Amino acid sequence: MGTLAGVAKCARETRQAQALADREESWLRLDFERDSAGGRTVLASSHQEPPLKVVRAFTLEDGAALVHLHNVSGGVLGGDRLGLAVRVGPGACAQVTTTGATRIYRPRDGAGTALQANEVTIGENGLLEYLPDPLIPFAGARFTQRTSIRLAQGAGVFWWEMVMPGREARGEIFEYASLELRTDLLAMGRPIAMERVRLEPRNRSLRLLARLGAFRTWASFYICRVGVRAGVWLELERDLREILGGLSRNAETLWGISALVEHGLVARCVAKRGRDVLPGLQAIWSAAKQRLFGRVAVPPRKVN
Amino acid sequence: MDAPLQDFAVDLGFLRLLHLADSALPIGALAHSFGLESLVAEGLLGTCDLPEFFAGFLEEAGMNDAVFCREGWRVAAINCAAQFERAMGGAGYTISPLARHWVAVNDRLSALKPARESRTGSASLGRNFLNAVMALRQFAVVNEALQASKEAGSLVHHATAFGLAGAVLGFEEDHTVLAYLHQSMASLVSACQRLLPLGQTAATKILWDLKPAILETAKRSQTYGVDDACCFTPLVDWAAMEHPALRTRLFIS
Repeated sequence: MGTLAGVAKCARETRQAQALADREESWLRLDFERDSAGGRTVLASSHQEPPLKVVRAFTLEDGAALVHLHNVSGGVLGGDRLGLAVRVGPGACAQVTTTGATRIYRPRDGAGTALQANEVTIGENGLLEYLPDPLIPFAGARFTQRTSIRLAQGAGVFWWEMVMPGREARGEIFEYASLELRTDLLAMGRPIAMERVRLEPRNRSLRLLARLGAFRTWASFYICRVGVRAGVWLELERDLREILGGLSRNAETLWGISALVEHGLVARCVAKRGRDVLPGLQAIWSAAKQRLFGRVAVPPRKVN
Repeated sequence: MDAPLQDFAVDLGFLRLLHLADSALPIGALAHSFGLESLVAEGLLGTCDLPEFFAGFLEEAGMNDAVFCREGWRVAAINCAAQFERAMGGAGYTISPLARHWVAVNDRLSALKPARESRTGSASLGRNFLNAVMALRQFAVVNEALQASKEAGSLVHHATAFGLAGAVLGFEEDHTVLAYLHQSMASLVSACQRLLPLGQTAATKILWDLKPAILETAKRSQTYGVDDACCFTPLVDWAAMEHPALRTRLFIS
């Protein structure tokens, strides 16, 4: 009896492991177009394979289309192979956000590293605002994200990402197994910003001064518009630095901002408390959007 | 007892590598702190933190630069072989791959450096370094690389420039990377001597003790390509970004 139960359990675990290893890619594809008649942006088509889904697009005051990303699994599971493909057509404006933090769960035995690919294409004079909630890697989580953002002439993007140390309320700090983030921003085919982060906190401490020191949360915010001349970026860098100066609090939250090699800026934040980061991201977004696009930044309703 | 000097070319190469990796080489390295000045000014980096800081820095930024130094070396090595084949009338080679490869590698490194001052600092040292090499002797490959970067509006970074020159001058790839990392760390330790109460003896010991970590970094860099080299230094990035805002500055970056 005991032997049969053991064999059954073993077979079940083997099937589970195989299913996890063989998990297929699931893509959410969103295609935004400018409605030439009304001037608004519409979600022209979407292809949805669970767990990533959107319910519908909402029209914002400035005519942009807003969608909320849902993960119907509640979070990213071990072995997941998720894809998000966003195409913003010429002259279209889209805002993409999440309904909550992206939770990266600890994988079950036999499950592989969870993968997420983000492929973004923004056409001429198009604009994408990607404003998600933070990423929270749980204890033991293994996650790799690859993001490619391709910008055409005149295209713009606001793209932020915030990474928490874990479930802080449970005292879970840097207990994930691995986190790899690769981000490429290309303007007309030429790289203007790249991030390559590979973290294994159990093997290489993040608390070293060369990494995060005493800080726990970090964020990157890319602000780009192809074709804007270098002098404007330097002025904007200086102006935003003044705004961020009021938000930086030594020993608690530090904000830095810098012009990219061309066509954009990047802001970096390190903070001891995750909740201190969002106000800075919103302040940068608001000031930069007004300056670069002459338009008001309309926060997704959940952020209000 | 060490073996006596026997191979003139090898020994001459060794001396030349020492020369190019000397922090006294007039390319402006002493004018850059690459963010250390801001860390010190904010009270985040003190003298007692330096050994651990530099060890971590080597694992991240040092590793990244080592990978790109190797790639610079390989750009030249591939091109030198192609030039030799062309000179010997070999078939199968039509267009020099150097320009495209060289510009792509440097563009990628520019994109990986988020802080403007550190990026332009690296580019200033790289261009000055190659110009210094060209002043010693005219090298066709170095000239072609400089020309290609100029035409493409691309930066020339110190790590890639050092690698390129190392190959052109006939240094081994690993020795070139080791020399680059060593001079890079020596330059940062020197910056700390001007920023912190750090005496000559203590600075010498820090650099001396870093040598195993430099070897380890160079060794690890053998296994990575430019597409998968990673660097996670958010606090140093912040410091380099904030450097323009310092009221009083000793360094350009």
